[in-house]
Amino acid sequence: MNLKTTLLGHTYQFRDLKEIMAKANEEKAGDQLAGIAAENAKERMAAKWVLSELTLEQIRENPLLPPEQDEISRVIEEDLNKKIYAEIRHWSVAELREYLLSSTTGADEIRRVSRGLTSEMIAAVSKVMSNLDLIQAAAKIEVITHCNISIGQKGVLAGRAQPNHPADDVNGIRASLFEALSYGIGDAVIGINPVIDTADSVKAIMNMTKDVINRFQIPTQNCVLAHITTQMRAIRQGGHADLVFQSIAGTEAGNRAFGIDLALLEEADALAHSEGTGAGPNIWYFETGQGSELSGDAHYGMDQVTLEARCYGLARRFKPFIVNTVVGFIGPEYLYDGKQVTRAGLEDHFMGKLHQLPMGVDVCYTNHMKVDQNDMDNLAVLLGTAGVNFIIGVPMADDCMLNYQSTSYHDIATLRETLGLRPAPAFEKWLEKMGIMSGGRLTAAAGDATLFA
Amino acid sequence: MMKQPIDLQELTDRIMKELQERLPQRESVRQESPHSRESAVPAEAPFLEEAPSPMVPKPQSPEQLEEWCASTPARIGVWRAGTRPLTRAMLKFRCDHAAAVDSVYGEVKRETLEHFGLFSVDTQYGNIENYLKRPDMGRVLTDQGTEKLLAECRRNPQVQIVVSDGLSANAIERNLPDVYPALLDSLQANGLNSGTPFFVKGGRVAVMDHIGELLQPEVLVLLIGERPGLVSSASMSAYMCYRPRKGMMESNRTVLSNIHQGGTPPVEAGAHIGTLLRNMLEQQTSGVKLVI
Amino acid sequence: MIHMDEEWITSVGIDLGTSTTKCIVSRLRLARKSGAFALPRFEIAERLLTYESAVFSTPLLNRNEIDVARVMQWLEQEYVKAGIRFTDIKSGAVIITGETANKHNAKQLVHYLADRAGDFVVATAGADLESLLSGKGSGAERRSEQSREVICNVDIGGGTANASFFRKGRMIETVTLHVGGRLIQLSPEGQIVYVSEAIRPWLREKGFHLMEGESAAYDYIRLIARQMSRTLLDFLQGLSMQGKLLAVGRVPEAMPPISEMMISGGIGGMLGSEPPQDMKEIAVYGDFGPLLAAALAEECARSSFRLVRSEHAVHATVIGAGMQSTEISGSTLHLTPGMLPMKNIPVVKLEDGDAEAAIRLGLQIYDPVNCPPFALFIPAMKPVRYDMIRRLSESIVQGYRRLVPGCDKLIVVCENDMAKALGQSLMLRSAGELHIVCIDQVKVDHGDYLDLGEPIRGTMIPVIVKTLVFSGS
Repeated sequence: MNLKTTLLGHTYQFRDLKEIMAKANEEKAGDQLAGIAAENAKERMAAKWVLSELTLEQIRENPLLPPEQDEISRVIEEDLNKKIYAEIRHWSVAELREYLLSSTTGADEIRRVSRGLTSEMIAAVSKVMSNLDLIQAAAKIEVITHCNISIGQKGVLAGRAQPNHPADDVNGIRASLFEALSYGIGDAVIGINPVIDTADSVKAIMNMTKDVINRFQIPTQNCVLAHITTQMRAIRQGGHADLVFQSIAGTEAGNRAFGIDLALLEEADALAHSEGTGAGPNIWYFETGQGSELSGDAHYGMDQVTLEARCYGLARRFKPFIVNTVVGFIGPEYLYDGKQVTRAGLEDHFMGKLHQLPMGVDVCYTNHMKVDQNDMDNLAVLLGTAGVNFIIGVPMADDCMLNYQSTSYHDIATLRETLGLRPAPAFEKWLEKMGIMSGGRLTAAAGDATLFA
Repeated sequence: MMKQPIDLQELTDRIMKELQERLPQRESVRQESPHSRESAVPAEAPFLEEAPSPMVPKPQSPEQLEEWCASTPARIGVWRAGTRPLTRAMLKFRCDHAAAVDSVYGEVKRETLEHFGLFSVDTQYGNIENYLKRPDMGRVLTDQGTEKLLAECRRNPQVQIVVSDGLSANAIERNLPDVYPALLDSLQANGLNSGTPFFVKGGRVAVMDHIGELLQPEVLVLLIGERPGLVSSASMSAYMCYRPRKGMMESNRTVLSNIHQGGTPPVEAGAHIGTLLRNMLEQQTSGVKLVI
Repeated sequence: MIHMDEEWITSVGIDLGTSTTKCIVSRLRLARKSGAFALPRFEIAERLLTYESAVFSTPLLNRNEIDVARVMQWLEQEYVKAGIRFTDIKSGAVIITGETANKHNAKQLVHYLADRAGDFVVATAGADLESLLSGKGSGAERRSEQSREVICNVDIGGGTANASFFRKGRMIETVTLHVGGRLIQLSPEGQIVYVSEAIRPWLREKGFHLMEGESAAYDYIRLIARQMSRTLLDFLQGLSMQGKLLAVGRVPEAMPPISEMMISGGIGGMLGSEPPQDMKEIAVYGDFGPLLAAALAEECARSSFRLVRSEHAVHATVIGAGMQSTEISGSTLHLTPGMLPMKNIPVVKLEDGDAEAAIRLGLQIYDPVNCPPFALFIPAMKPVRYDMIRRLSESIVQGYRRLVPGCDKLIVVCENDMAKALGQSLMLRSAGELHIVCIDQVKVDHGDYLDLGEPIRGTMIPVIVKTLVFSGS
């Protein structure tokens, strides 16, 4: 494996694949915090150059974290289609990039080739792609999933209604949910992040949202984003959950910090299939986000893009209905400014899609990052053109419970009108029946929550 | 317990008669009370600012909309221009963001520290940009700060109180006057004694570990500014740890968060810290293993 | 932190009525309603009915006295059947209803019973409380939570009809009328055995003539039942004031407009039954109750409101007393150990931070011999600042020491979540000389009575507020 290159009169010698992968990343505060980022712009380019010439086989044969040491590595290895891999193992990373971007490569070709790719290969190719590359390649991929309805079709932009409340007051949650529905938001999922971690309270929110869905016959699915063990208790106590949720990390140790492992996910999967209320076959909702492994001190010297790709390697096993990368939640020590957030959002979306995952993005930031709402507007438009399956809808983009800013009900409606995108077909029919949407545009009545009074 | 049985009806009659005579506002008592009877008052106090009135021009149910808007601090009932928010709603949002950003970059006033008798030491954070990018540097005191602590502070106190700006100087300015004296009361009420309190500039939560190594307290409570949100840019947390030292896990710490008027009530939070600390001392642990 | 997520307590309800007595046992589940990083807070999340006694004829020693010993004996047997011990019972209420409340020894009895029915069972009486509890027990209160409209529950037993009006989960009005099944009693031969004095003015006004000892025609009794139903319903709807002739106590100036009505109590339980067809059938019951029920159903059908089924028609009052009377204080409080339970503490509201005025007022109204003579209630203030807590605690301690020198027990109830802070401050300012109960997140008012149960896990206490707001002339 060649670990050396000469660039602009300077010779760069890298220690191993892990170092190349890290240094080939676009600038990220998290890689700098971990002490693995490129020293300067030239070193970054040298790493990209070397990486682009490595073959897929070299990447597979030099595991960053051996399968014997980590169950996520095992999942990725086990789920690799060896025949398809054999056909492409001699490709360089550069060739993989060009294949993805080639005008003769369509959705079907990408779907096939993706089965022969490990998460590390997918991370590698993203590191030699520009932002527009990431958009174009992702836009080719269509990932349609079905829980109670189908989402992910070309031309569809779905929204998660995220009507959180700082005290889990079900009346307040319901009010905010009605506001979402009145703007045509809620086709991806009605998903609430609870404050109170008791099965009782989680069950109450599950059942309130399910009641609303039943009362107004809304073609969508509900989910309460508590820890998976709490959701399981709530479901066993009679909670109605169409989807089950969990945040995941890219290493076994990272997942342990989240209080989960593969066995627990499998147990939850079995429970959701037997006692969940979603029609399926896709009944999972996963969340990821660059930087969580480092913050849990479970990164093994890997960079945050590669670790993020490994999350998708794990998610892929459970055939989720939706995956959401919460791109700017974790703070400036991982993604410092708007530029880094934009890059991370496009990378995550592309990498997830190349795993054939139904990717959504929480386009978001916290108040100690060098980011503002204009950066969110920009990234949302970029992702809309890249074909993101869904983004987050929060009242006026301000989540009064999680204390961060995301995208708003208004933003999703605007992206749909500006980019010519539509809600999920079943949901759009319902919006028309309710008089909220007509011909793909909001009606004069839209935006009034008391349509649901 | 009452010593003698009371004749309820008779007493009632007496009271109502007396009340009628003595309370000119009895009529209003009678009218108001039926509406506010029976249920315990919700613990989450209403929000600091009155919810703005709904902007929807012709809602199906204006009354219902008012009620819904009052049920959540979320920005609902805001209406739209096309698919975009109205100008006022948009600017209000940006104003709140501006306040949040400014509180990250703010500083705790010298007078505030003097008022509470807190001397100040620095972490190795250097400057605010570095503070944001390098949380590890906010976890260690400077050499100068270390020397100052060793010179000024009582060693091995039962309780060590530390205050730090963290991500919101504003949180300290706004909440310390309520939390701090209530905390001192709660220590006294629980029979606990505390060492020499001080302020840490540029602190992260895990600076507790470094201080723990230096002063060896039995328990340490750190009052620190939280990452500001838009609902409040002045929210404080209290992190508590039994025998803090290097390598403590997040799960070893007990936390009370979201302390501000409109969140966790500051005075009551301060008053409850003493109980938590006493539990830690009794159980000789903190964090996830502490039984409350 | 390892938090307690839930706790169950046992609560009983005992209804000592005009003709019958019943009891129920319920389990109340307290569930944590606070996040892991917030101050602890609990709510009653579930109320399960676990045992319902058979109906027991209220035993009398003579026409004017209830046989206390037999009631107690019966209760002991019921507890055995329910599988509970007296010491298991952490909450509940005894209510003495209808005409029983006028018996000679009723008041002594209700307290006697309450003190012996469990660790913390309280005594209640009065038509308004009866209305409130039946409206809670019937499910009217809960149903109104989800509605903007007014739901009226009328609990009709042997002697009275207790109406309670609910909107948005709160009782907004109440009124009681002499309308009940046993107001007119008949012999097996169809003779009038008894006509209550209470309804005679109304009978006269309506032109009815009923003489004890005479026999009456089926149609005539039926007409009276129908007219009585009409008077009741018209009165509750504010259509006619004729019901004033039947009213017990206060009559509201205006009735809230009713959208839905529930009928509970013995008459409520008979609503769905086939009405008796002739005098012989009526006489089987010994009173005109079945006819009244049938007439009510007919008249309701003709009214503009919807008649909805109550969840617990017959036992609404006892279920209300047993399952719905208790609330839970905030979970951060200050308590000198060993002071609870305490019963029947009158409430004085402390207004504008003026502790001395409140204490003086309390001592004028309530018996200063009792210790504590009353509880101080501190209504909501916003925001709660430490300086205010300190000033308040100083003035309460000073005022209490000076004006109530013989009493070392102080009870303070706060509306805001601040009881631990205030309690600790009170303790420190009084140098530990006062024994203090300071609780919060309970709303009371002048003239209310408080019952405070034993602390649960030392962090919260069951509270029963007996409101007298609707009483008086």
